[in-house]
Amino acid sequence: MIQHFPVLAIMTLFLASFLVVLFGSRNKIVRGIITMVASTIPLVLMICLIKPIMIEGQVISYWLGNWEPVNGWAIGIGIEVDALSLFFALIVTLTVFLSAFYSLKYMSRDDTLEKYYVLFLMLSGAVLGLVLTGDLFNLFIMIEILTFAAVALTAFRNNEDGPLEAAFKYLVVGSIGSSLTLTGVILLYSQLHTLNMAQISAMLQNGQNSTTVFAFALLLTGFSIKAFIVPVHPVAADAYTAAPTSASMALAGMVNKTGVYGIIRLLYIIFMTMGLSSVQNLIVTIGTVTMFLGVTMALNQHDFKRLLAFHSISQIGYVITAIGLGTALGLTGGLYHAMNHTLFKGMLFLCAGAVLYSAGTTNLDRLGGLAKKMPQTCAIFLIGAFSISGIPPFNGFVSKWLIYQATYERASQTGNFGFALVTVIAVVVSVMTLASFIKVSQSVFFGELPAEFSNVKEAPVSMRIPMWIMAILCILTGVLPAQVYQYLIRPAVNAVLSPVKYINVMMGNGYAEKFLSKVQAAPDKSVALAGYWQPESWLLLFVIVLAAVTVAALLGKKDRGVSSSSAEVTDGKYATFYSGEKNEFSRVGGSDLFWGLKYNLRHYFGFIGNIHSGVVNDYALWAVMIFAVYIVFAFIFLL
Amino acid sequence: MQILWFLFYILIFPGFLFTTFAGLLLAGIDRKVLARMQRRIGPPITQPFYDFVKLMGKETIVPDAASRTAFLTAPVIGFVSLIVTAVVIPIGNFLAFRGIADVIVIIYLLTIPAVAIIIGGASSGSPFSGIGISREMVAIVSYELPLILVLLTVCKKAGMMLSGGMTFSLSDIVVYQFYNGTMVSHWAMIPAAIAFLMIIPGEVGTQPFDIAEAETEICEGTMAEYSGAPLALFELSHAVKMFVMTALFTSLFISGWTTGSIVLDTIIVLAICILVTIISMTLPHASAARLKVEWLFRYYWKIVSALALVSLILVWCGL
Repeated sequence: MIQHFPVLAIMTLFLASFLVVLFGSRNKIVRGIITMVASTIPLVLMICLIKPIMIEGQVISYWLGNWEPVNGWAIGIGIEVDALSLFFALIVTLTVFLSAFYSLKYMSRDDTLEKYYVLFLMLSGAVLGLVLTGDLFNLFIMIEILTFAAVALTAFRNNEDGPLEAAFKYLVVGSIGSSLTLTGVILLYSQLHTLNMAQISAMLQNGQNSTTVFAFALLLTGFSIKAFIVPVHPVAADAYTAAPTSASMALAGMVNKTGVYGIIRLLYIIFMTMGLSSVQNLIVTIGTVTMFLGVTMALNQHDFKRLLAFHSISQIGYVITAIGLGTALGLTGGLYHAMNHTLFKGMLFLCAGAVLYSAGTTNLDRLGGLAKKMPQTCAIFLIGAFSISGIPPFNGFVSKWLIYQATYERASQTGNFGFALVTVIAVVVSVMTLASFIKVSQSVFFGELPAEFSNVKEAPVSMRIPMWIMAILCILTGVLPAQVYQYLIRPAVNAVLSPVKYINVMMGNGYAEKFLSKVQAAPDKSVALAGYWQPESWLLLFVIVLAAVTVAALLGKKDRGVSSSSAEVTDGKYATFYSGEKNEFSRVGGSDLFWGLKYNLRHYFGFIGNIHSGVVNDYALWAVMIFAVYIVFAFIFLL
Repeated sequence: MQILWFLFYILIFPGFLFTTFAGLLLAGIDRKVLARMQRRIGPPITQPFYDFVKLMGKETIVPDAASRTAFLTAPVIGFVSLIVTAVVIPIGNFLAFRGIADVIVIIYLLTIPAVAIIIGGASSGSPFSGIGISREMVAIVSYELPLILVLLTVCKKAGMMLSGGMTFSLSDIVVYQFYNGTMVSHWAMIPAAIAFLMIIPGEVGTQPFDIAEAETEICEGTMAEYSGAPLALFELSHAVKMFVMTALFTSLFISGWTTGSIVLDTIIVLAICILVTIISMTLPHASAARLKVEWLFRYYWKIVSALALVSLILVWCGL
């Protein structure tokens, strides 16, 4: 029974996208019901798979049309779900569900909504198919559907300036990625005569030739473009900013995770090259550059959504860095951070959407003081901001803490001082992340309330529910790291580090051993931590001290408490101190902050500002450039 | 019985009461010594206690422009997380909660009071606070780089004796010093120790590094709209932070010894803390005027980071 679940989940989403356009183009309620049902079913199915796959350690394989392998050659399309696939599938289905829920109200002011939902469900189905499939060509098809659905969603609000331009950039760079992926698939097929990933993985162990090495570079470029790592990141910044917020959440929450998934699958399982220190150095370098460049670009932004978009890039940099270490601890940190990124970044995008919905703008220089008008959105935003900046006890802290340890452990193991510098950069990036979120909180939620926003209302309940769900998940994954590790992360890490089972389930027992005779002994999957983080002990301490402070405050309390003015009385005592300046001239806007930092690094900021020219030719050139780097790298180090 | 001991650790020693007392004492001594350096008589050492009690009794005013909840909770959160941090810092060889003392966690917990100041200042809605939080954030970015370099140095040095090659556990660091002598007795660690001494005033925010509160330029910045009990809590946090940072310095660089008696150990640790306070905070305060914002950043990222990096490289070379 359960082997049908993955294909049912994918089918539901694709089927619903056709049903929406057939039955939902007139009627809002029918459309909403189809969308919600279609986005709930995959989530439920994936949750049902947790027990057999994550806890019992099964791997589910499913041959479409029952085309099973003949004489040891996979001829049909196979779906294969191991713990890694399921881990990403859970992230994807959760994002789909919450984004659909949010969009019901958020998108209600737009027209031709059936088109939005067709594209959205297509995108969801493609992403889910991509992480669950076991067939390389099928994976390429999913990438194609995903790219074009994402491009169309980016351009959905094409009456504004921005979306069309962003979609065009995405289209150009995304197409480069897809074509390179297709070429890579073709080359592998021409050499190995199979498209099944498990079989390719086994057969590649017979040795690489120059064609497969070239295919490696092609596929790695394709997935890098999907993950939006430097230097193909500017497209992501434009697309996330221009897309409707519920789609931005889907793009940042799950579409760039497909790139991360692809890189893990490619490096650890299909090519099994992660043991080479040259590959580790390459991936860690790219990840570190990505996280640093992303956060410094974010510090410079004046738009809420664009700032979040650059943070998305930066956080993916953390994930890539951790994955590139090639250790069990690094993978743990990387996967944990990938999950956390989906939670907090999705939530922050939803907050930006709520601000856009209520106030009509996301310009940091115009907004201010919304905490009084939108207290719940402000609270959720602060949870998200603390999570992404890695403040304990929220979830970002756990994963970043794992990543610091993993990088420093790797530095100690290999004696490579560069990895120690990566730890330092990761910490500094984390502080800069905090800095730019302080900027957002000051210029959107705190500070003075401009007169034009005095009538702003709190976001509607149906938009706040998904935000609260994510906020609660952020806290839960922060205070229960042991459980998250036990039931979600560890099975996925084990699946990544033991590809033999992945191959055998698909191709029959003993198949992998025929090819993997000379393969390295099973890598160490145990995770030894160098420090301690027990959130429950810290929380207990915190609560006890908090109680003590409260008791002390209550004992010492006199009859006179905290005073603030009632609405009618205007008393100078309660006015803000302006030192004689007129208050309309003393506003501190978003771009006025962090002068000292910007002044000292002005040459660097000027430089990165200039290279992000906004010209699509440049960005296409960068995509080709990273491809060239990968080719040179692959031919020097892998052959 | 176990629970009673835990409560004793958390609330009395080395927790709430002791930390508060030690912090206010350090603040008092700092003021007294500063005054003597400037040829003034200065306030009595108990003055911070009087100030605190006086502020607690004053009226608390919440400005109209402020977001009330954040404005009132921020000081409490900041103070509480500071106390929680203090509980796990070893006094001599004594460590109340051995299993949870992790250096990276402590550093991140130490950012919570700074974030509390920022959120509190931002929620007050004053433009002076706006400038104040911007400067506070620049200060955090400035000192965090050398701070992490120093910590990685210490972790690497202490971890060399262990199997993994590194440790982030504070108790391991103390154990290392117990067997191998204090960290400052290894010459390769001296630049890192000096760098940490330079970080302390930045982290605590005393002159000449108090750009965020600069009362002569931006009217106390983040504190501009605070009054009464919340202000008292912020002042208390400031004093406690002095103790936490100096005690952290002590346990990272001059610990591992014990006299056998906790009381005697505590007195010696307090004496070292006073000495460190005078060297790292009072002396620069008495001798230098407030730095410009951009100078602060450059100072920490160039001079202090370079010192810390020298130590890190020396330790990596096995010295």
